[in-house]
Amino acid sequence: MTGEGTTLQKLVAEVLRRINDADRDGASRLVDQWAAVHGYGDAIAEILEPVLRTVGDRWEREAISLAQGFVAGKVAEDILNKALAAAPKGVFGEVKGPVVIGNIEDDYHSLGRGMVGTFLRAAGWAVIDMGNDVSPAEFVDRAVETGARVIGVSAMMFVTARGIRGVRDELDRRGLSGRIMLAVGGAVFKVRPELVAEVGGDGTAGSAMDAPVLFKSLWERSLDAGGEQ
Amino acid sequence: MRGETMPADVLVVSCGIFRDELAALGRAGKFPWPVRFLDSMLHMEPERLEQALTALVQSLAGQRIVLLFGDCQARMDLLASREGACRVKGHNCCELVLGREEYRRLRREGAFFLLPEWTARWREVFRERLGFVTPESARLFMQEMHRRIFYLDTGVVPVPAETLAEIGCYVGLPVEVKAVAPDRLADAVRKALEGFNE
Repeated sequence: MTGEGTTLQKLVAEVLRRINDADRDGASRLVDQWAAVHGYGDAIAEILEPVLRTVGDRWEREAISLAQGFVAGKVAEDILNKALAAAPKGVFGEVKGPVVIGNIEDDYHSLGRGMVGTFLRAAGWAVIDMGNDVSPAEFVDRAVETGARVIGVSAMMFVTARGIRGVRDELDRRGLSGRIMLAVGGAVFKVRPELVAEVGGDGTAGSAMDAPVLFKSLWERSLDAGGEQ
Repeated sequence: MRGETMPADVLVVSCGIFRDELAALGRAGKFPWPVRFLDSMLHMEPERLEQALTALVQSLAGQRIVLLFGDCQARMDLLASREGACRVKGHNCCELVLGREEYRRLRREGAFFLLPEWTARWREVFRERLGFVTPESARLFMQEMHRRIFYLDTGVVPVPAETLAEIGCYVGLPVEVKAVAPDRLADAVRKALEGFNE
């Protein structure tokens, strides 16, 4: 173990401790201090990612509270926004997209969607966030207006998740399936993964951190399918 | 009373959040069905809620069961589609007492809702269950997600004005009292039972 490795481990542990104490400012400050020396790209890779992986694991095991998960998300948002400000074209390259995201009609659980938007922006995507309670037609209208090739729809509960089928039906009705891809996500899809196919989703991601990989893959599938928006 | 025509073997399995309301409706002769309750804090642990509900429903085999719950765990639909079981219509307990349109209207305005039972247990809800151990962390979350709080006054307990002021201070949001009709709970059960009778 190198000295820097040990320092990093201690720093990650301290950031986690502050998140556990719901201390957003304290956790963000520690990452900022590292970024001041090593840059935000390094801070994201070396600190933020392991912190969020740990938080994600704990979330899966229900070993973390909503408050701790929320604070971790806000710390990630703080750091990623600072990284974006330092590198406006995106931390990981050129601006891509746009993509449209939102919560389906009757769904008001915006926490996960907010995290997805943050990670997408950090990965260089232009994100159009339509907020909560968005109808299928509104999603498709906005994607058509803006030339988005991916719509990401979130739902937390089963009854609202079923409403995502309406987005698939709307895409089918307008002959846009294949050209506009449908990403789906939210707590219920983790418990019932068969729902992805039931609502006509083209793909899902295990966590907000994995969303950029999913959206890139769906964007490429849309391009492969050909056709103009 | 319409409920008198309902089958005698019907049993309601309800979230404990409605314990006082159902008792009051029962005393008024508006809720003729026997009720079994589960602790409302199970809402915070959907897997445990699913286990507890499944075990209870299984133990009641042979009876017609109405689940007086929202869509509070991921497999509620599967439980409610078992033979002899059904669930009232509504996304959650607040929608059940507000009605769908009013619930949607207020949610779109950024409302967070408190029912009387959770109001009495608000420290347990916010601090122990949700983990907002400081007012700062509670405010950070609540002010990002909501604009105001509605206390849904079902009329069965006095409005706890002092407690509501404490909650408003802790989370940094205005609290308003909104009267709702607990009779909607009996109506919801009655409508669910119509599905059995069709």
